[in-house]
Amino acid sequence: MASVKLKNIHKEFNGVKILKGIDLDVNDGEFCVFVGPSGCGKSTLLRIISGLDDASSGEIEIADKDVTHADPIDRGIAMVFQSYALYPHLTVRDNIGFGLSLAKRPKNEINERVNTAAKMLQLEALLDRKPKDLSGGQRQRVAIGRAIVRNPEVFLFDEPLSNLDAALRSKMRLELTELHAELNATMIYVTHDQIEAMTMADKIVVLNAGHVEQVGTPMELYHHPKTPFVAGFIGSPKMNLFEGQTAQEHGADIYGIRPEHLTLSTQTGKWQGVIKHIEHLGADVIVHIQVQALGTLVARADGDFAVTTGSEIYATPQQGREHFLSK
Amino acid sequence: MKRQQVIIGIVALVLGVLLFATPFMFIGITAVKSAAEASHLGLSLPSKWLFWENFMAVIKARNYMLLLAYFNSTVITVGAISLLAVSAAMIGYVIQRRPSKWNGFIYALILAGLMIPPAVVPTIWLLKELHLFKTLHGMILIQVAYGLSFSVLLFRSFIASIPRDLDEAAIIDGAKPWQVFFKVILPLLKPITITVVLVQSVTIFNDFTNPLYYLPGKDNVTVQLTLYNFQSQFSSQMNLLFMNILLVTIPPLIMFIFFNKQIVKGMTAGAVKG
Repeated sequence: MASVKLKNIHKEFNGVKILKGIDLDVNDGEFCVFVGPSGCGKSTLLRIISGLDDASSGEIEIADKDVTHADPIDRGIAMVFQSYALYPHLTVRDNIGFGLSLAKRPKNEINERVNTAAKMLQLEALLDRKPKDLSGGQRQRVAIGRAIVRNPEVFLFDEPLSNLDAALRSKMRLELTELHAELNATMIYVTHDQIEAMTMADKIVVLNAGHVEQVGTPMELYHHPKTPFVAGFIGSPKMNLFEGQTAQEHGADIYGIRPEHLTLSTQTGKWQGVIKHIEHLGADVIVHIQVQALGTLVARADGDFAVTTGSEIYATPQQGREHFLSK
Repeated sequence: MKRQQVIIGIVALVLGVLLFATPFMFIGITAVKSAAEASHLGLSLPSKWLFWENFMAVIKARNYMLLLAYFNSTVITVGAISLLAVSAAMIGYVIQRRPSKWNGFIYALILAGLMIPPAVVPTIWLLKELHLFKTLHGMILIQVAYGLSFSVLLFRSFIASIPRDLDEAAIIDGAKPWQVFFKVILPLLKPITITVVLVQSVTIFNDFTNPLYYLPGKDNVTVQLTLYNFQSQFSSQMNLLFMNILLVTIPPLIMFIFFNKQIVKGMTAGAVKG
């Protein structure tokens, strides 16, 4: 297994700057997630690491080797695509063994390695089927099997769970985390879904408009966001961010408080407002409150908290949970 | 269904049958008539059915020329189709997958190939210079050149519907560009390849004018040119001519009947995707 080092990676396309100087270290055996909104450059960065695209400038090292200009096959990487990219005319067995057969490995070695990967991913019963006969989750497993079988130094995942339904996505998240623990491999995972990032990552890299906003563990980013973008991006529902007087009172440009760090009361509190909208999630209830001085404030309360739209309510930020951010 | 719709349907069917079946009936009936009856060129039934006699007369005519023509036409068709399908698929793949500043120019050439009628005399001059005039392989190259534009456009639009992720997955798996094409893309082109093979092979097999220009000579005869065996300035043997037409029409007809669905599938593939 191996570390990945990115040094001052720039990417321009038709004069548009997609990546603006990315410096990043992904350690050996780490599960690193690139997260950010659509168009932030996360997939481009992954494609540059894979060798499918070239960087306009900068250096890439994998396992302490400069691979900036190397072909994908010489980088020791394997990639899982959002669309799975299974070869429709080949069986599951041939899909998984495709890379090995291109490398002209002996047939019995290919069979052995395909069987091992299939066992690990519970695909043994499906080896002679074609991709069209598989469900979404099974196809995703085959795509992962195709990556595993080559024993790569680094696994690259490009939004691999985006095409699955919510229940299957949650199951696959767990399976991928277990797979990472089993293989102890370096994995780089791209997603726009911050829940995937929070639940799976050892390290999260938040990207925005072609640059790295912040790098840290999931809980570091949650508790100590350095920029308003990270504060707003990590956490669901997103953090309440206010400029103006509320922020100035605390000597900051932007004041932030997460919905789950507001205490609601019908009697008393710091901010008084009127409930505009309520979202019942079962265990929790998300309350949208119109506060005169602030605007809309979103709060999370216990699912049993009895509130009705249009009623008056008070919200109070919990001590030590407030965020004071610079622009 | 309303009564009016049923009537319209039946009228349309009858018209369709008259329009499409009558010529075939005319060929079939004339082909089994005697020379005297056939010369009237009517739809009346023959007084005596002479299928076998006419069939053998056509086969034996000019020292079994029809059999030689079948051989020549088959060689030209198989040779041209093999070259055409592989080269059109490769060209279609490159221009679809690798956009470059030359693409506009390449498209212009492809469209020119479709729109500008070929010039016969310069082509013959070129064939002569290359020592390919009056040869089967010269004829094969001519057919490839004439069919290439249409086939490239069909392949290109079909390839546009194949996700680029497949190419990239193969590259990550270590495939060289030729392996990406032959091991991943080409097998997926089966539907459009069948369409191209069928449509072009019928066109080439049935071609009359090009062999007439570029492949003169008794030994080079192709099936369509055997029709001249039974027509001359002063006398024509209509019964044998139509028997010959019947024999020449059968192979393409069989292909169309069996592969009709495949042809339509390939023609419309890529029309709504990518």
